[in-house]
Amino acid sequence: MRANPEVLILEDDAETLDELQTHFTRKRFHPLAARSASRALSLLEHNRYSSRPVLAIVDWDLGKAPDRSASSGDVLSRLARELRECAVIVYSQNIDAFNVRSQIQRSHPRALLHDKRDGDASLLERVDRMLDRTVGDLRIHDGTVVVHIPSLDQHHHREAIRLVVHHPDIVTFHSDTATKAVRRFGEWLTAHDSAVRLVSHGNRKYRLAVTVSEVPSPPDADG
Amino acid sequence: MGVSDDRSMLGVLAPDRGRSVLVVTDDGELAVAVRDTVPPAIALVRDARPGDAAEIAAACLPWPWMVVGGTPALTPEVTALLRDRPVLILWLGPLAAGLPADVRRFDRPAALLEAVAAACHADVGGMRLAPGSGVELRDGTLVRGATLEALVAAHPRPIALSSRSFHTVSGTLARHASAWQPQREGALVTLVPASRMAARA
Repeated sequence: MRANPEVLILEDDAETLDELQTHFTRKRFHPLAARSASRALSLLEHNRYSSRPVLAIVDWDLGKAPDRSASSGDVLSRLARELRECAVIVYSQNIDAFNVRSQIQRSHPRALLHDKRDGDASLLERVDRMLDRTVGDLRIHDGTVVVHIPSLDQHHHREAIRLVVHHPDIVTFHSDTATKAVRRFGEWLTAHDSAVRLVSHGNRKYRLAVTVSEVPSPPDADG
Repeated sequence: MGVSDDRSMLGVLAPDRGRSVLVVTDDGELAVAVRDTVPPAIALVRDARPGDAAEIAAACLPWPWMVVGGTPALTPEVTALLRDRPVLILWLGPLAAGLPADVRRFDRPAALLEAVAAACHADVGGMRLAPGSGVELRDGTLVRGATLEALVAAHPRPIALSSRSFHTVSGTLARHASAWQPQREGALVTLVPASRMAARA
């Protein structure tokens, strides 16, 4: 199944938003772009059943937003609660300030932080490193397919991309459909004799492991 | 900028079964430092205030792996959790009332952060914390169980453990023919080489 992954972009500066949108469109992503937090929340709400962004890029400082009825913290909290499998990068001019970092972490404990003073190019470089990464004998190509390097075979499902992007972290998937896609990806890895294996942690939680000796066992009674 | 007033919507309250470090402070500064110390693949750092620590602790399933504090007061719900469950407790400055005896107290943030890092990278005869949750045994087997995670991370220090948890861990390690076993000294339990226990017997 081919499904181009979405990326949520929340940036109050129109010019920067346009640059980011262009960058992701060129990389074959479907950008969900918003200049205000309320618009971003609305995009997430309207795409709730059809789209689950692989990545969200959130500007913490929304001073130029046309509508200030919601905050970047509200968007981060929504992502943390309802789209846990989405990788999140938050950038700010004040990312060094501990109170800003603390607010971001309380809104989204898994958010990655980026210093806006390093410029947009630095942010895009970081995003590209995440989206074009290599794990074992797998590589993401153009952010849209996972390639098994020895055979050059491709796997197109976005949940597979999500697992590679998040490696070595665990990803919690939101539905039976998503977990079925993940298991199919696991079978695909086995069929290709890949050095990367799918590890289940139960409760729709999966991660990729490059080591070959790990065998999951049933959970113990104490949690 | 900032967050809404609706604290119940904060992402830090989202329940999750992955390994969690709960950091309870009045201003969040220590939580920022702990987050810089803990590898993201090992544990999620949850930044709590004394007033919402109980609610955030309840979102750490089955319970927080580690609690780091720097506040002189905790609610009774939090201290009850810390007494009832095998949780690593590291404290900066004066201890909050009601904490169990196996709490580790530090005067300097750097020393506390070193202890946090050591727990994250603990290696007990090849047993290590697996990414996210569980313990990887020497042969690569992944064993799930929050009690075993606490014992491995605390090693060689002991932690307080109920008889039930002690027997669960003991059974799990025996089932996997591990070279390590839990050993009880009063209320406290630590991991020791199984050969040492056999020699004692």
